[in-house]
This record gives sequence, structure tokens and C-alpha cells, in this order.
Amino acid sequence: MKASCNWIREIAAIDASASEMAERLTRAGLEVEAIERVGEGLDRVVIAEVRGKRAHPTKDKLSLVTVFDGKGTREVVCGAPNVPAPGARVVLVDVGAVLPGGLRIESREVAGVRSEGMLASEKELGIGADHEGILVLGDDDPGKPGARVDEALDLRDEILHLSLTPNRPDCLGHLGLARELSVLFGEPFAPRLTLLPSKLMSVLPEAPRGTAALPVIDSGTGHSGETASLVAPVDGVPMVAPIHIAAPDRCARYVGTVLQRVVVGPSPFWVRHRLHTLGQRSIDRVVDVTNLVLLELGHPIHAFDLDRLDGHRIEVRLAREGERIALLDGTERTLTADDLVIADASKPIALAGVMGGSETAVRPGTKNVLLEVAWFDPRSVRRTSRRHAIHTESSHRFERGVDPSGIPTAQRRALSLLTTLAEAVSSPIGVDAETRRIANATISLDPDYVRSAIGDASISDVESRTILEGLGCAISPGEHSGWRITAPLHRPDLTRAIDLVEEVARVRGYDRVPTALLRPEPRPEAASSRALLVRQVRRAALATGHHEAVNFTFLAASDLTRARVSTEAVALANPLSEERSVMRTSLVPGLLANVSRAERHQRPRGRIFEIGRRYLPGNGPTSVDETASLAIVAFGARDQWLGEGPSVDFYDGKGAIEGVFASLALTVEHRVPANVPGWLHPRRAAEIVLRAGEDARVIGHVGEIHPDVADAHELVTRPVIAELDLEPVLVALAARAPKQVAALPRSMAVVRDLALVVEERVSLSQIAHAIREAGGPLVEDVALFDLYRGKPIAEGHKSFALRVTYRDPEATLTDARVEETQSRVIARTSSELGATLRA
Amino acid sequence: MSDAVQEFEAGLARLGGDVTATFAACIDENALRAENAKLAGPQGELTALLKLMPKLPGDRRKELGQRANQVKQAIQSAFDGRLAAIARAIREAELSGPQLDVSLPGRSVRPGGQHPITKTIEELLDVFASLGFEISESREIELAEYNFGRLGFPPDHPATDMQDSFFVKGRTGSAAGGGGDDAVVLRTHATAIQVHEMLARKPPMAVVASGTVYRRDDDATHSPMFHQIDGFLVDKNVSFAHLKGVLTTFLKRTFGADVPVRFRPSYFPFVEPGGELDIGCTFCRPWVEAGSEAQIARTLACRTCKQTGWIEVLGCGSIHPVVFESCGVDPNEWSGFAWGMGIDRIAMLRHGIRDIRMLYENDIRFLDQL
Repeated sequence: MKASCNWIREIAAIDASASEMAERLTRAGLEVEAIERVGEGLDRVVIAEVRGKRAHPTKDKLSLVTVFDGKGTREVVCGAPNVPAPGARVVLVDVGAVLPGGLRIESREVAGVRSEGMLASEKELGIGADHEGILVLGDDDPGKPGARVDEALDLRDEILHLSLTPNRPDCLGHLGLARELSVLFGEPFAPRLTLLPSKLMSVLPEAPRGTAALPVIDSGTGHSGETASLVAPVDGVPMVAPIHIAAPDRCARYVGTVLQRVVVGPSPFWVRHRLHTLGQRSIDRVVDVTNLVLLELGHPIHAFDLDRLDGHRIEVRLAREGERIALLDGTERTLTADDLVIADASKPIALAGVMGGSETAVRPGTKNVLLEVAWFDPRSVRRTSRRHAIHTESSHRFERGVDPSGIPTAQRRALSLLTTLAEAVSSPIGVDAETRRIANATISLDPDYVRSAIGDASISDVESRTILEGLGCAISPGEHSGWRITAPLHRPDLTRAIDLVEEVARVRGYDRVPTALLRPEPRPEAASSRALLVRQVRRAALATGHHEAVNFTFLAASDLTRARVSTEAVALANPLSEERSVMRTSLVPGLLANVSRAERHQRPRGRIFEIGRRYLPGNGPTSVDETASLAIVAFGARDQWLGEGPSVDFYDGKGAIEGVFASLALTVEHRVPANVPGWLHPRRAAEIVLRAGEDARVIGHVGEIHPDVADAHELVTRPVIAELDLEPVLVALAARAPKQVAALPRSMAVVRDLALVVEERVSLSQIAHAIREAGGPLVEDVALFDLYRGKPIAEGHKSFALRVTYRDPEATLTDARVEETQSRVIARTSSELGATLRA
Repeated sequence: MSDAVQEFEAGLARLGGDVTATFAACIDENALRAENAKLAGPQGELTALLKLMPKLPGDRRKELGQRANQVKQAIQSAFDGRLAAIARAIREAELSGPQLDVSLPGRSVRPGGQHPITKTIEELLDVFASLGFEISESREIELAEYNFGRLGFPPDHPATDMQDSFFVKGRTGSAAGGGGDDAVVLRTHATAIQVHEMLARKPPMAVVASGTVYRRDDDATHSPMFHQIDGFLVDKNVSFAHLKGVLTTFLKRTFGADVPVRFRPSYFPFVEPGGELDIGCTFCRPWVEAGSEAQIARTLACRTCKQTGWIEVLGCGSIHPVVFESCGVDPNEWSGFAWGMGIDRIAMLRHGIRDIRMLYENDIRFLDQL
């Protein structure tokens, strides 16, 4: 919302500067984002009168214009097509002036003729949108020749750019802002608005049956000394139009007033200028008045071409399913039975509160007008506006809540402007269809509550009362104690006591709220917070050398397919793009994208992990299971001291998992998987088993990426990747007991090396198991220190070089016992696994 | 005098000569040991000499034996001395040898870089934890009832414009034109934690939660997925002044005790009175030498605060009675405050990240720097 400081000052007696207003509004919750100064830099631009015009000697498109600048006459060269006849006033830019756009005007020859200045367009002066020709003032525009244009036309203004929260529809107009500023500056508020039509029909019609008449002159206030001129109505043109509200829950009140003899034409300069500075386009005198009223009072109104209304009547009803309407924005819409429309006897003529129809719009040649001033249900307007994706100044205000008590003011203000600017003759009454009266909220408020809720005992009753009354609240004593407050209808956001507390705090200023501290009582359960357990996992992954990634949790369905993870995903109904249209079922696609990115940017090695949620269709109120997951990827060359090592393989992935779990003090094992997930290499993957006491469960997988998946991502490296379910890990972490420590042995160990040749199919764990079984409690440790394939070992075989540590904790081992045990170990590996001692 | 005695004595005389000089000529341990072996080793001269002992006459044997032993000891002692000298020389050479190139890379397992989002969340949560708040979390895919309805967003209210939501396919709600409490949305804020906690247990409570949230915005300054920390406190006799005190303390602990804090009114449907807290811009630091030419120039050039000197960091307010009522908590007995803050921008501020997209690209060259 843009607001003119000049306009605010016209309505209310506020003498604060623009920056003071902005500061005060911002501190009261009405954020001013910027102050824009308009009409600057025009100190050498004056009003001039055209005295003569002749053709340029050589150039057809140029003319030589003699103007009187208040002191003397001079000749300027002008290229505009609209140089007016002598007597008309134009705007002269003096030699030496620099226009707001940076254009410097010099005395110079134009095609051989010296030009002493320039006649300017609105756009060149930065005061309007028109650049078709020079600015020509109309008869109703002020300013004598020689007068500075910025002073004569009142061009200097400061425009506040407000960012309003949706609870303050009252400030979507200058009247409301003036009221708010009056409260904030502690000034009484008595708005200055002309509410008297200048031309009235000389015959008083009767309101149609079933509707009331709203007199356009407020007998209550009276306009002493002011009179409207009376004009005879036009024969054959109705003075009133019947109004029927068929959807009373959607439209509480509709006032329609007939105007005759309308002159539709370009608006005077001040209207065009005011609309321009507030970001609106000038259309014609009638439409401009409706926009002026909207900007001034915050109440959207609409003007129909009365002669185009079938039956000269208005019906406010729900659209029929499939009914069509051509709108002012040039589009045609198909309506639903939930859209509220304004209709004539045969067809919809406007989307109520959103946009008018093009067929009944005011246009050049329009003679008679029906002026609509109404109150539509905010939710109804909002639904229609959203459904058809039409957001207008009108819908913006109606959906936030327009002041229902402002209808007579809006009607009279519009009639006053239309009868003056568009020379229209107003019917003495509007037809007033009202289906229900919107009631004021009444609220009980104890001034003690104001103090206790804000936490400031120093707020006096008088101060609270002054603020609330300034905002338009009426205060009477409460039934038992405290106050009974009637909230004004322009503040639909005030419905309960806390709303009034906020008003007091807000108007006083939050900087005046004192600060107090309090300390929550600790709860013992809080220590095992899930977030803190997740943090331990993150620490472990970081400590083992992995960078942390945070990927988008939504991606394209094709990302799931390409990574061969589950495609049974939660899909979005309204994604921003196909690329982010389903929730991830795995963290694997995200990490693969990170690897791909690294390769593209010449960093084809690294270790990355992510901790995040997977979303799977499930049960519960949302039908989604969100579970925490940990994924790790290693890719490219392995780290070594200098240069690059060989590419990472399965064991780097396994090692990463072991490292993470070792640092978490949890036990995992790796096993040949029962089922290999699609994203992993079928022969180079393991399932990860979490062991907690007697309980062992598969929590995820680790392995080389499936080569087809690597190809599908156009990867050069063959990443090793793991993903596991974090939920059981968090449970185990929460239940984890401190590690127990055994006493250190006093006896010496005996170490024996053993080289065993076995077939490829025999695993290290089988050999180690056999050694432990055969050696019994004397075997303390079995460690592999070399693995060899190749000559002289037979094809299909490998050699394990093992270091076996024997120890008897009770006694010193004799050589004989060791030899005897080792023989049993060798015999067992031979009989059970076909192992032979390497020669 | 027998020949044997003569030979023996000659041998002793030869071996008893200047052994020290002989050994001193040996430049390393190997040469020394070779020389020593020649003299005193099993194949050496002394051993050969001692083999003559049985041939010596009985009356001289003792005396000659003693002299031989003296010679042996002299050789041994000279050997030991020379050996130690050689070892010392080697050590001296090592200690005065060439300086190591300490600029060569070290060998270690480097810890990975933590993502700025999680790092910022952890640090901010820790501050709240130190102020006595429990850390909690809740689901990201949420019923509209919890994300909007119970938080006081009226149906069709324009407040939802501020955070246009993603809906889950097939669960867009039963209200006319979509929406309604039974719709399932990607949560637009982490505020639903209030509803979950208040439905689950009785006050008093003080909880803070972080999480991923989603809004249908995607431009230079908005990401459709981002992160928030939301927190709230419910107890008896909690006032707006408590909110101001606790959150100001949080901001000063987080951003520095000297950073100014500004508190101004704003609107969120689930709080009232509602407000926003700004901190002085941590880039141009307008409170340092405030009013000086240097400070004004700094602030006028500051892109971070857009020349305002302030950075908006959190929205907050007293918990609206509507929220208490919708969660079965009596607003006449309990009161409280709540706040929510976006993490992404704070993370960007802290790490000097200029482009929000960098946060979610996970470029390894970006992560390497963390």
C-alpha cells in the first residue's frame, strides 16, 4: 500500500514530517518500508501560456511555439503533436534546468531554429504516465503563467510504502491511516471530507418495494450554507434501480445509486497526478473517482453503465455452474456455484468484490451510471479471488474486511466527486438493500488485565482508555467490574480482550514494555531428547572425516527411479516444478546428485553424509511415515599422505560405518545381505546389523553403487554408499550403558603367525571362527595382516596371513601348550574349511 | 726361557700397544667392530695368544695370565669408549642435520565440515537449552489442523497468503476449493510443536524445536525449503515483559552483548500481542562509533541490512488464547509466549554466504571450507 502524506494531511490535522510518520507507524506495527519523494527537482519549471504557434521552416514534425512565461514571451521548438491553441496553459522547462530523469535543458538550435527552453510531458517531468504529448492544463487546473509548476499544481509529496499485516484492513485507505496517525500522535481525529453531491435530481423517487432508500444528503450532519443545484432528471432513464440480494450470507448490504448526464473524459491533472503517485493508472473521470474513493476510504466501489444493465436492475446471487463472464482484464471466466456475482436481469455483470465485467463497464459515451457501494463476505471474495487467480485492489480489501459502517460515507464521497468531476447529476436516494446488520463486537476488559498481560504495572487506566477511545472504541462500565468495550466496525480484528491489550501495548510502543526474566522448571525426561541423540550421530560422522550435506527433501519422481530407490513416494498436489514434486524415500538420490556435482566441478573425490528424514506412505493421521535416516557416501581416490591413493571400495564404506558406530560405542556387524537394494552392487554390498544385547537387526546397507546406477548418473567414479535407518540407532543410543572395562592380564601372551591357503569362497570370518572354536579360551585375538592372491598360490585360492594371540590369563603359557593348541587350530581349519598351511 | 713364553710376551707387547689410537682410526661402528674382532674376537690375536696358555711353564702361567687379562680389559675399554664416541657423533650429526620441511602436509583423519544450517541450529538450540528450554521436534508433513486451524488461522483467511503451502496429493482437504483441517500440508512453520506438546501433556512447559519447513516461494532470497527454530513457554502469570526479557537475553547471548535489539509490533494469528525482534546489523555494526562519518558510510554501503542498520531475526508474541483453547489449556489459568525464527538467513549472516542456493547445492568446494 502506498500512501500520500499530503492526502493524509488533507484529511487530518497532522503536522508531522513524512519521516516522523514513518517512524511512528513502524513502531506501531504498520511497517513503512520506504519513503519516496515526488515532485522534486522542478524548481525551474513554470506554467506558461501559449501565445502563438507556427510551422518549423524545414521539419514537418516540429512546430515553433510562442509562450508567455509570466514575464515575457519566448519561442520554443516543440515536437509534440498536441500543441494547444493560444490561451491554453502548458508547462515550460527553463534553460539550465535539469529534469528528474537527468535531462539538462539548454538554449540550443533545433534544426536551425533556436529554442529557449522546452515544453514537457508528464512523463518527462516525472509526475505522470503520459508521454504521448506535452502536458496541457485543463480549465479546472490551477496555476497562472509564471507560477512554479510544483507549487501551482501541488506536486511535492512524500509517498509512504507500507507493508501492512493482513489484520489491518482499516489502514488500506488514507482515512484509516489518518485516524491511526492521529492516535499515534495523540491528536483528536475529525476527518475533513466533502460528502455533499453538487448536483441532484429535482425529483425524489421512491425506493422499489422491499428495499430501503438511503438519502444521499445526510440530514443528520446537515451541510449548512451548502446547497446542491437541482437538475431535472432525464426522461426515460430510471432514477433508481431495483436491487435484490439472493445470497444474503455473502452480501450484507448493497447500495446502488443512479447518476445521470455523466461526462466521461480524461480527468483533471490533480486526479491523474494523485493516482500516478500512488501507482494507479488514470482511466477516465468516472473510473478515476471510484479509485480515488478506494484509496481514500479503503472501500472498493464500482460504477456500471446503467444503460447496459438488462432490466436496469441488480441481483446479487451465486453464479450458476458453468456461467461465463467477460472481465475488465480482457479475460473470460467460467464460474462455479461458489462464486458470488452481481447480475442484471439476464447475466453476471461483475465478480462481486473482485472485478467488474467488460460489457457493462463505463466507457467513452456512457451517459448514465449505477454506482455500487456494498459489503461482501471476506471469505467469499477470497475464495473467488483465489479460484480465478485474480488479485485486485478491491479483492485485497474485501477479503481482509471492509468497514460495513462506511457505506454511506463511501457513497456520498463518490457522489460528491462524480457530480463535481464528471458533472453527473445524482439521484437523491440510493437503493439500500441490507440483509443483515454487521454487529459491533462487545468486549469485557479489566484494566488490570492490560497491566498483567503486558507485565507493566505503570500503565494507568486513563492511558489505556485514551488509547482505546482514540482508536474508535466506545467504553462503558462493565456489568460487574472493569469495562465494557464496543469495538468500531472498521477494526474487525478487535474481538477479544487480548486484542485490546495489544492495542495499548502497540500504541504505547513495544520499546516501553519492560523486560523481565523467568526460568523454566527443568524436567528430568528432557535429557534424552531425540535431537541431542541425532547430534551424537552427526558428531560421529563428522569426526570420521565426512562433510555434512543438507539436500532438498523433495525431488523429481525420475530421481527416485534413476537411483533405484523406492518410488512409492508421497507426492505434492501443487509442486512448484516437476523437479521438486515428490518427497524423497531415501537420502541416496540426494547424495548421488552431490557426487555428480563434485565430479562436474573437478573435485571427483570426497566423503559426504546426510542425516535427514525419509517420507514413506504410511499410517497415522497424515498417512506418512517420517523416519530419520543416515546416509554416507565416499567417492574417488582414497586419501593418502601424498598424491592420490587408489579408488575407494567397499571396505572404505564398511570402515566408515564401523568408525561412526565405534565412536557411538555401539556394535555393528556386516553380513552378506539377504536382499540387496537395487541401488547397490549385487556382489559388493553388505547388510548392516546393529547388535544391542541379544537383539540383532538389519538397519541398512553399505556397498558399491550399482554400476548401472552410476552410469545413469553419468558418474566417472564408482561411489561407495550406505544408508541406514536411524530410528533403532537412536533407541540404542538412549539405552546405551557406559562401556565396561576388564582387568588387564598379568600373564604374557604368545603370538604365532599362520599363513593359510583357502578357496576364494572361504571368508575371513569363517576362518577366524574355526580358529576360536579350536583354540578355545586361549585364543585372545585373530588378526589378518596380509591377504595374497597369485603365484605360487593356485588359481581360485587365496592366502590369509594371520597373527594369532594366545594367552592364559591365569598362568604363563608354555611352548608346549601353544604348539599343541596351534596344531588343533590348523587341523580344524583344514578339516572344516580345506585350509592348507602355506609352504 | 721357553719359546712359548717368548712368543706370548711378544704377543702381549703387540696387543698392549696403543689400542686407543688404533680404534680412533676406525670411522664407524663396522670398522671399529672389525678392528676389535681382529684383536679380541674369537678369531682374533688375543684369542690365538690365549690358546698358548697350556704351553706356558707353570711358574709363569699365573703372571702372564694376569697380564693377558689386563690387555683384554684395556682393549675392551678402548672399544667401549670408541663405540660411545661414534654413537655420540652420529647423534650429534642428526641433531645438527638439515631442517625438516614442516610445510609438507600432515597425516591425519580430518573431521568433516558441518553444514551451516545444522551448525547454526545446534548453537542456537544450545543457547535456549541454557535458558532452560527442552529440545523437541515434530513431524514435517502435517495436518492443516495443526499447522493452521488450531493455531488460530481462520479458514480462507488472508493470513495464509503469507505462507502459501504445499499440499499432499490426494489429501488436499475436504473444504470447498481445497484446504480444511483434514488437508495434509508440508508444514509452513515449526509452530505446530505447540499444539503437539500441549495436547500431549500439561503445562508448565518450555520447549524449543528446530525443523525443516516449506513455503511455495522460490526466488533469489527465498528457498521453497528452509529451516526454523520455534519455541514457546507456558506457565502461570507469564507476561509480554517475560517474552521481551527472555528473547532479548537469547539475542544478546547469540549475537553479542553489545548488539542493540529493537522490538516492534507485528501480526501472526497465533500470538497476541505479536511482534518482531530486530538486531543491529552485524555486518555494518551501526552502534559502533554511532553517528560518526565512518559509521554512516558503512551503513549506507551495507547490502545486508539494506542500509537500515537493522536485521529482522524473529517473530514472536504472547500465545493467543485461541491456541490454548484449541489445545484444551485454560487461558485464564495459563499464559505464555512463543517465537519463531528463520535459520537460513542467520546461517548465511554468520558464514558470510551471499547466495541462498549455496546452502542446498552441497557443492564439495563449499563444504570443504566449513
